[in-house]
Amino acid sequence: MIINLKFTLLFALLSLAVSAQAEVVVVVSSKSSVTSLTTEQTAKIFLGKVVTFPNEHAAFPIDQPEGSAIRDEFYSKVAHKNSSQLTAYWAKIIFTGEGRPPQLIAGDVAVRKAIASNPSAIGYIDKSAVNRSVRVVLKP
Amino acid sequence: MTKLNCLAAFVLFSAGISIARADQTAASAPNPLTDQPMFKLGGFGTLGLSHSSESLGDYIVDSTSPKGAGISSDWSATNASRFAAHVNANFTPKVTALLQVDSEYHADGTYRPEVEWLSVKYAFTPNFYMRAGRIALPTFMDSESWDVGYSYTWITPPVDLYHQLSIPSSDGIDAMYRAEIGDAVNTVKAIYGKNTLDRPSSVTTSREMWGIFDTLEYGETTYHAGYQQRMSSTEYLLTGVTGAWIQNSDITVGANYDPGNWFVMSEWIQRRSNYVSSAMYVSAGYRINKFTPYLTHSQNSSGSFLQSSPPPTATDLQLANRAQSTDSLGVRWDFMRNFDFKMQYDRVTLSDNSNGYLINVPANVTLYGTTFHVISAVVDFVF
Repeated sequence: MIINLKFTLLFALLSLAVSAQAEVVVVVSSKSSVTSLTTEQTAKIFLGKVVTFPNEHAAFPIDQPEGSAIRDEFYSKVAHKNSSQLTAYWAKIIFTGEGRPPQLIAGDVAVRKAIASNPSAIGYIDKSAVNRSVRVVLKP
Repeated sequence: MTKLNCLAAFVLFSAGISIARADQTAASAPNPLTDQPMFKLGGFGTLGLSHSSESLGDYIVDSTSPKGAGISSDWSATNASRFAAHVNANFTPKVTALLQVDSEYHADGTYRPEVEWLSVKYAFTPNFYMRAGRIALPTFMDSESWDVGYSYTWITPPVDLYHQLSIPSSDGIDAMYRAEIGDAVNTVKAIYGKNTLDRPSSVTTSREMWGIFDTLEYGETTYHAGYQQRMSSTEYLLTGVTGAWIQNSDITVGANYDPGNWFVMSEWIQRRSNYVSSAMYVSAGYRINKFTPYLTHSQNSSGSFLQSSPPPTATDLQLANRAQSTDSLGVRWDFMRNFDFKMQYDRVTLSDNSNGYLINVPANVTLYGTTFHVISAVVDFVF
């Protein structure tokens, strides 16, 4: 009985570990000249404060849809903002005509494909979706 | 004026559509990554109620309101309630336009919709643009988005400071230049134009209005500073008297630190016309999941008249003498996506020689030195 309980606990811990493996990474096209970015540089690009990478090449950020877990994880780690803070941030910018939020593409695979073909693009996807067409530039 | 604005908007958007069509025929195959929709519609609004314990005067948060909670009614929905629709048009990557129509409580006591912003922007580069039209003045850190309750934590930005926002917009031109300085991003805006502002019992005309405003964002800190000046004259509708043209100038400074879970911010203004006065606030809040409790203190000073100015009239003295201070405690609750609910308590203390910003106080009543209490609740939304 006790052994059984131990196994159940162990199993529960393992499944926790597996689900915790979902991890957001920031990627650019493998054709991009950008090799790494800091959290602050990435935040500035996604919050529309800069329009280029540190090497002066144009940066084209791609967002995942509102309410998606990966988006919430990305912004809480990179910009220290939850979804309401992010909506409030963009409300201020949109309604003063100063800018628009990044374009939306839904799903890790679709984002990866869009990024792979555009050396200016930058996005965030789950680590498990990374392949050779994209380069990880930040693990926040 | 409104008719003119509507006409202008129509002309603008038709012109834009034809430019964009011409562009499309010239453009190559569509690119799903870079092709954004030309028109983006959105909007925001606030529904609110407030109650004041002072029943001999109306408590207002915006100097253009003719009535508020207090002597006119026990509970008032006018202080915060508004609805706005917004169109952003990207005609080409360089040419964009903005139209915002707003329905809120006006000086004439109606919610008649009005063109709040209408401008055409030409972006020479992504970091340098010029605009022409009706443009918001970036006097304070939240003055351009004053109407968008969802964009800030409070029910309204601290009244004693934001009441100084005498001119909300400019009909004219502005330019913006943004540059990275090391790890910081610096944005400079310059503005030139004119304005006509309707208040319940006066109309203020401003011309030769110009200003320069700087915003520096470094890490989690934002700094803001500005200088503006204008020639203004006020016509008092009851007496029919039009005041002299007086040069007004404002200096503003502010800072905001927001590392994510909490924030602290403060702003200050010095106004100079035929008298000098100042106002400031300090506010801090802490975010616990969907709740953000906050505390604010704000105050303004009475004006001291400049020796070089002509002797002040009774109206000048009354306008210069409106000192009050406010302590506020509130909470913002992000209860569902794109909606928030806020509650706020304000304790307002009037100076020993004025009725502060209370309006509609009967002529034989003085509320000097009084302390009263205001409670408010709002729902804000964006779409």
